[in-house]
Amino acid sequence: MFEIFEYEFMQRAFVAGILIATLASISGTFIVLRRYSLMSETLAHSALVGVAVGLVAGYNPLWVAVFVAVCSAWLIEYLRSSFAIYSDAILSILLSGSLATAIIIVSLGGAFNNSLFSYLFGSILSVSSEDVVTILIFGSIALVLLIAFSKELYFIAYDEEVAKTSGIRVKFLNFLLVTVVAIIIALSIRVVGSLLIGALMVIPTVAALQYRVGFFNTVLISLFIALFSVIAGMTLSFYFSLPSGATIVLCVISIFIASLVINKK
Amino acid sequence: MQVNAYSKFKVPIFDVKNLNFSVRGQKILSSISLEIFNGEYIAIIGPNGGGKTTLIRLLLGLNKPTDGSIKLYGKKIKDFKEWHKIGYVPQRASLVDENFPATVEDIVKMGRVSKLTLFGRMSKEDKNAVEDAMNKMDILDLKDKMVGTLSGGQRQRVMIARALASHPEILILDEPNTGVDMVSQKNFYALLAKLNRDENITIVFITHDIGVIANDIGRLFTINQKATICNNPKETLSCEEMSELYGIEAHLIHNHKHEH
Repeated sequence: MFEIFEYEFMQRAFVAGILIATLASISGTFIVLRRYSLMSETLAHSALVGVAVGLVAGYNPLWVAVFVAVCSAWLIEYLRSSFAIYSDAILSILLSGSLATAIIIVSLGGAFNNSLFSYLFGSILSVSSEDVVTILIFGSIALVLLIAFSKELYFIAYDEEVAKTSGIRVKFLNFLLVTVVAIIIALSIRVVGSLLIGALMVIPTVAALQYRVGFFNTVLISLFIALFSVIAGMTLSFYFSLPSGATIVLCVISIFIASLVINKK
Repeated sequence: MQVNAYSKFKVPIFDVKNLNFSVRGQKILSSISLEIFNGEYIAIIGPNGGGKTTLIRLLLGLNKPTDGSIKLYGKKIKDFKEWHKIGYVPQRASLVDENFPATVEDIVKMGRVSKLTLFGRMSKEDKNAVEDAMNKMDILDLKDKMVGTLSGGQRQRVMIARALASHPEILILDEPNTGVDMVSQKNFYALLAKLNRDENITIVFITHDIGVIANDIGRLFTINQKATICNNPKETLSCEEMSELYGIEAHLIHNHKHEH
């Protein structure tokens, strides 16, 4: 029954998957409450530009993806706070702009299409030991920052202006949140894929919100849903030879639908 | 301007001089000068669109004035750090997002966040302050309830408890009665008067119900692009600004009826 753990690549995938589920669901709570859900999609596509550059130039795609996603997150936050452009319009422009850039870079690089494909849809087979270490290092930093500022981030999500008048450094924390989210998304695309990471970030929280419990319990439920979906998705993808990212997303959507039905008013 | 009885307190909490605020060339506030002193109870009235909320936002540093100066406890807003001294309850306070995952206690705890250190767990002092604030607002028995399930009046008390949890010296409320029933409003005014009288908390609030609280308040500001300051609202009938005040008051009542 546990033959799944006899394979080294599956052990790596599980470690990476569990880390990503933890990071995506905790950061996702703040993202959803801030009405930033679409941001995860945009940053995932920005990360793809990093992957493309990494593949073409011969650098570690994950590291370049982290760098590009963070730059993109800062650009979004800067545009949002400095210009009169609707937030969702900014996200939409950057999303298509990033994808276009990634496609051009990859098409110029020619032979790398297959590698890029694995980043688009996620592939547990392709998670290397180096990837696990990268996810561990950046993921731990991201998690520590999220926990350190969780009370402030929660307050800002509730009411940004009241938080500001209470002496909370709103601007700094907004940048911090988008930075952490960018790092988490860039790390996640290896396992879940850039087209699907948004789902893992947003859906566990939206499902958890259906239970109408306080903040701490909402985070816990969201974390549990994400972990369960990733573990179930990976196991199913192993035994039925299904693509990992898509299987994980369908698992999390199933839990979301179940949560909706259970909590119907 | 009349002599203000509170000016015996040397440093005002707010010291506003020649404040102007325009948006895209349209003047919202013009030549506003006023001071707010410790222990005062001030009501702000004025027609909708007259600039009341804008004035509050400028005082709190949420908008930057076109020109003029605002000092908070003698300091410029950008240099002011003791924001815990100021409790702010915005206009939409009782219209909270019903799906937001927050219990009453979660919200009141926010009042302590700016005092916590990094990774800061709540100290005994923080917990006491939170409980004390809920007690004062009579919402201790609701502490595990989701805010989205409360009535308008209950939510209003939660928002004020959050503001009180930081032990503010001044409480600024922007039309906090939006969406609140009449009985709750009456209790609410009694509570504000009590906070001002017993705890010496300075109170500044925007209201439409000036008649109800005329006996509680110390001063009345009417804001309609310019500010008219009435230092003795109980004798408003003999106040020089009466005709101007009444013009605004009549307009207000008219608007009020249309809103409900």
